[in-house]
Amino acid sequence: MELTKRLFINVIPGTTFLDRLTGRTKVRLFLAFILLLIATWDMRIILPIFVVSLVGLASIRPNWRLMAGLAGFIALTNLFNLLLIWLVEQGYGDTLVGGSHVLVHVGRHYVLTAETLWYFAVRFLKFMATFLVSITFIQSITPSEIAAGLYALHVPYKVATIVSIAFRYIPEITRDFSDIKISMQARGMELDSRKTNLFKRLKQNIVILVPLIIVSFDRIGNIANAMDLRGYGNGKTRTYYSEHEMTPRDHKMRVCYTLLYVALAAVLVGRIFFPGPYVVWAPWI
Amino acid sequence: MKEKKSIGKLLLGTWDTKTIVGVAIGAALFGVLMCFGGIRIFSNTSLTSAMIVIPVVAGLFGPLPAALAAGIGNVLADLIGGWGFWFDWSIGNAVLGFIVGLLPVYGARIDEGIFTAKHIVIYIITVVVGNVVAFGMVTPLFTYFFYSGELAITWMQGFSAILSNGAVLIVIGAPLLYLLAKRNAKKTNLEEDK
Repeated sequence: MELTKRLFINVIPGTTFLDRLTGRTKVRLFLAFILLLIATWDMRIILPIFVVSLVGLASIRPNWRLMAGLAGFIALTNLFNLLLIWLVEQGYGDTLVGGSHVLVHVGRHYVLTAETLWYFAVRFLKFMATFLVSITFIQSITPSEIAAGLYALHVPYKVATIVSIAFRYIPEITRDFSDIKISMQARGMELDSRKTNLFKRLKQNIVILVPLIIVSFDRIGNIANAMDLRGYGNGKTRTYYSEHEMTPRDHKMRVCYTLLYVALAAVLVGRIFFPGPYVVWAPWI
Repeated sequence: MKEKKSIGKLLLGTWDTKTIVGVAIGAALFGVLMCFGGIRIFSNTSLTSAMIVIPVVAGLFGPLPAALAAGIGNVLADLIGGWGFWFDWSIGNAVLGFIVGLLPVYGARIDEGIFTAKHIVIYIITVVVGNVVAFGMVTPLFTYFFYSGELAITWMQGFSAILSNGAVLIVIGAPLLYLLAKRNAKKTNLEEDK
């Protein structure tokens, strides 16, 4: 997949429901979903989040061909990781789910248990949901709104600025990266991983890295001067032009993310104070 | 000549606009390289050139900026990479960023072209210590707190991360720092008229 197509950010907010929320609502909603996804291994929570995030992604009317390609790539990566885990330890899910029902024998040494399969399904769905939430977030927010949202969470505004500038410049740097790569290929550098050995590839990485670092860090002066000229960093607090007032949709979504934080608190309390014998819930245990 | 800065100031860095932009660009670079600039060796760990961003940012701005660049860069990489959020690793990378980023504290100043044999030795020591502390201790600790089910994987990944990051930081990092210092030395070779 082409790198530059993969990373795209909005600078102007769109027109759909999610696009028109305030930065603070977007960031809080995103954090609620992500933290809940990290905290839980429960299919009864992960599956609804997966469905909701799919609806969320559909609601911002993304480029579906691009999304399908991206999702396929992420799914393959995650499946490959699961395969690696299974090869290293076949009974990985048994201790986490509890119980060991052998489903199939593969060869002489490899077995697949129902518990491991269930654990893998949970893990796979968990990461796909995380991906969907992340991509919906990236697609529906602008760098300035991220800064505003973080600032509303009492993150120091200089840190909020760091995050928003970094987010803003990721596509730019990715483009530089692929430009440098293409120009190196034009000069006869072999980048096909099947034709070169590890040492050569390391060396190629340096050859791409040096111009990339110099080009990227040469930008700093320009950006910093532009910000200084506009009086950045003079005040102790900061307001954001992109942050409009709370609308009725923001109030609706506030109910949603409050519920999600309550669910998160419940999951955490359950895990810390009433830990069950097993980490992952399964319907037959 | 610049005036001598106190240790505290060197550790924290001066937080002017230039540092903020530098950390931001460093974080973006870290994120991009983590996603695309690596050679995969084990699930979710690769021989990633993103590590190089740490000494470069540290050489310009100091340890805390390097730590922030690595930490935020890793979170951004998680956001665009699609492999899920691993804040334990982001914290580990931030710790690594701080320890490897001690460059200006022991007197190596990349922006002024100072990077001698003595500094290379100390740099290699900080790389080894930083990796072991970050991925052998800090990351597993936070994995235990955040993602209790994943500790076994973290040990395996942590071990390969120590080896691969250490290799990248020493094999690519040290020569690259030397080159950058040499490049910058040319610019700072003016002498004050007496």
